[in-house]
Amino acid sequence: MDKIALQRLRDLLWFLVMAGLVAASVRFTRGLGATTGLNDAAPWGLWIAVKLGFVALAGGGFTLAGLVYVFRLESLRPMLRRAILIALLGYASFIVSLLFDLGLPWHIYMPILNWQHHSVMFEIAWCVMLYFSVLGLEFMPVILEHPWFARPFFKNIYHLLHRATIPLVIAGIVLSTLHQSSLGALFLIMPHRVHPLWYSAWIPVLFFTSAIAAGLFALIVESFVAQRLFSSRLRLSLLGRLGNAGAWVLWVYLGIRLGDLVVRGVLPAGLDGSWQSLIFVGEIVIGGMLPAMLLLLPGVRANRYGLLTCAILGIFGVLSQRMSLSMFTQWRPPGAPYFPSAFEIIIALAIPAAAGLVYLLFAENLPVLSHAPERQYSAPGLQHAAGARPSQYGSLFQRNRAHGLQRSSGLAVVAIALTAAFAPARSIQGAQLPTSPVSPARGWESLAIDGNRRDRLVIFPHTDHQQRLANELGERACQVCHHLDLPGDRATACSACHQENDSPTRIFDHTLHTRQLGGNAACQQCHLGEHRAQTAAACAACHENMSSMAGEKPFQYFAPSYQQALHGRCLACHQERQAAADIPDLASCSVCHFKPAELQRSNAPHHQ
Amino acid sequence: MIGILVDVTRCTGCSSCIEACAEANSLGQEIGQPQQIGDGLSAQRLSAIVLSPEGRPVRKFCRHCLEPACVSVCPVGAMYKTPDGPVLYDSSRCMGCRYCMMACPYGIPRYEWDTAAPSVCKCTLCVERLSAGKLPACVEACPDEALIFGERAELLSLAHERLAYEPGRYLPRVFGEQEYGGSSVMYISDVDLSFLAPNSDLRETALPELSWSWLSKVPALSLATGGLMTGLFWVIGRRMQVKEARARRGGMEV
Repeated sequence: MDKIALQRLRDLLWFLVMAGLVAASVRFTRGLGATTGLNDAAPWGLWIAVKLGFVALAGGGFTLAGLVYVFRLESLRPMLRRAILIALLGYASFIVSLLFDLGLPWHIYMPILNWQHHSVMFEIAWCVMLYFSVLGLEFMPVILEHPWFARPFFKNIYHLLHRATIPLVIAGIVLSTLHQSSLGALFLIMPHRVHPLWYSAWIPVLFFTSAIAAGLFALIVESFVAQRLFSSRLRLSLLGRLGNAGAWVLWVYLGIRLGDLVVRGVLPAGLDGSWQSLIFVGEIVIGGMLPAMLLLLPGVRANRYGLLTCAILGIFGVLSQRMSLSMFTQWRPPGAPYFPSAFEIIIALAIPAAAGLVYLLFAENLPVLSHAPERQYSAPGLQHAAGARPSQYGSLFQRNRAHGLQRSSGLAVVAIALTAAFAPARSIQGAQLPTSPVSPARGWESLAIDGNRRDRLVIFPHTDHQQRLANELGERACQVCHHLDLPGDRATACSACHQENDSPTRIFDHTLHTRQLGGNAACQQCHLGEHRAQTAAACAACHENMSSMAGEKPFQYFAPSYQQALHGRCLACHQERQAAADIPDLASCSVCHFKPAELQRSNAPHHQ
Repeated sequence: MIGILVDVTRCTGCSSCIEACAEANSLGQEIGQPQQIGDGLSAQRLSAIVLSPEGRPVRKFCRHCLEPACVSVCPVGAMYKTPDGPVLYDSSRCMGCRYCMMACPYGIPRYEWDTAAPSVCKCTLCVERLSAGKLPACVEACPDEALIFGERAELLSLAHERLAYEPGRYLPRVFGEQEYGGSSVMYISDVDLSFLAPNSDLRETALPELSWSWLSKVPALSLATGGLMTGLFWVIGRRMQVKEARARRGGMEV
């Protein structure tokens, strides 16, 4: 047993799970928008993609159960319990990531109450629910063999389960066949989203076959991991047979995949050198043909590194197909790209990490790896009471618990602190109205205030203003600036009154223009004479193509901006009438772009 | 079966319909979330004016399809089509899987991304106003009679009348008559409106048929798999028994 590697792996998984806890707390309190990169054009993202992956890797469960119990290949029995465990953990990961992905996860029971036979997802919900129960029952004997359950009551359950094995296995195969393929059928209805190189009427069959292949390859990889961590026996010839079977299934999958593309005429044209076609080629060649070809060679299968590499490549190919189909290569409208957020990735890693920890716990404490069940199930607990393999059970309790606890909690603190520290502000605060920064006023008679909200203080003679306004307005003077209902940051800008200083019109930003034209040296570009608003050049002197009627290109797919809409609607008619009725200024900018003070007067209903 | 006919040639893009819609549905302030995709629709705006590639304003809102993809994919019946035509949403059933958003070829349903208990948001064809005997808010607000409310069959004949009366004014096609099995909201236009269903072929068969081509096989497939596995289990077991018995007999003979 490689204790150091085991400890390191456990630390890594624990770290990920703790980081995931932070992300999970944000997810369930602030919602999907705060945690994910999903948007209205990409309602499905990374969590859906990894979910499809978990189920593919769990495909070994029903495959091996079928091979052992239906086809009675007793030689594969040593792999059976690990296959069931991996499947159980794969489906548990699927369900947990589903809870993260659902907007209203507490409604997850709704498919039980509201039957919708026309929905693929309804069928999947039922199949997964039932199959997860079947897997639980199939795995329960392993738990019941633990000495804790050496009681007649559990013994009876154990024997009951043993008697139900065959019906359970067959139910598991039926349910798996249905939902493994239906997971692919989810995408049948969206030809407008799925890339042509991945879309196929045969998606259900492709998902079913690739799940068998990926499940078998996952068993091979797990055997190598278990051998490294727990020095469990590596049955290389047996794994070679699994690899060989996996290769044949992979060939079937590839044949259907490519055959369908060729028949529908997508294939030659689809390889157009776009990045999608490169992903496609990589997936088919590196993750498909290469392992499928190599695994047919007995020499490769007999070589542990060859076998392991091929299994990993095969898994890569299957996961790549599922992630490309459901996430990477999906069509999205321009201007709405999808990138998984950091929290999304952390949760997508934390869920399999938690499954990994459960795997380690079970592998250490239950007869999963080393146990080859007898043909006649003996009473639980009996064969272990003699203490044949004490190390099989004890490790959880024999470890230095105090040391382990310290180490785990230390790691947890670091993981939680790191994740919380790097959490994006939006994920904590949620959606907010944009605010402009403003510094509070300082002083008394002459205040230092942030008059134009650009975080630069200017001297404001407060008493002076007070007196002048009081002469004009009396008691209402204070309200002019100190208005309680000002939105946003509740500070009155100088330009609210002194428009000629800063913002001559509602849409003209003087500071922006000064900055963009090169600071103080640029005044003369507009102010040809005296530096006053009245002497400034007309907008159209620089903005020749300001109106969309004057040839501005409309922004495709976006709603017209306020400017585009009004210029487009009003200007043409104004120009027409200016010419026809000989009203010189009817089409000039200032007809509409007037000062707020004048707004009151000219706000009367206007002809359309 | 009720519906709305949009005459794109009459629309000036004044956005009165959108304001009326926001008011009638008590929609909140539109504050521009990063999850929006720039077409104007969001959880706060159930309809929007988009520009066609030619620059013409076109109203974008739920088509209330006759065979809605969103309804067919919903695993819990939270999306449902009423016999009168409107496609409605019931958040008390919704799990939040967002399959409806994935399946809609027009990209209409939007999500409340910034709450921990989000709903899907889409046009309801103002069913509540209809039951109170009023017109849909957008139809009532339209100053140019670009939106016409009525029975779908009547709207369809009106549309064809207009196409026949002023052939030069319109493209010879009622958008929504056949696309994806037809919809309650239809358009007549002088510009091609296929941009409203981007990246799609606007096929005339309804999208749910694609799922159904698989789902209809599921019962037979489950029976076949179950039967095959049970049969194999029995046959293989029997052959092994026979083999074993033969071996035992052979052993006795020797």
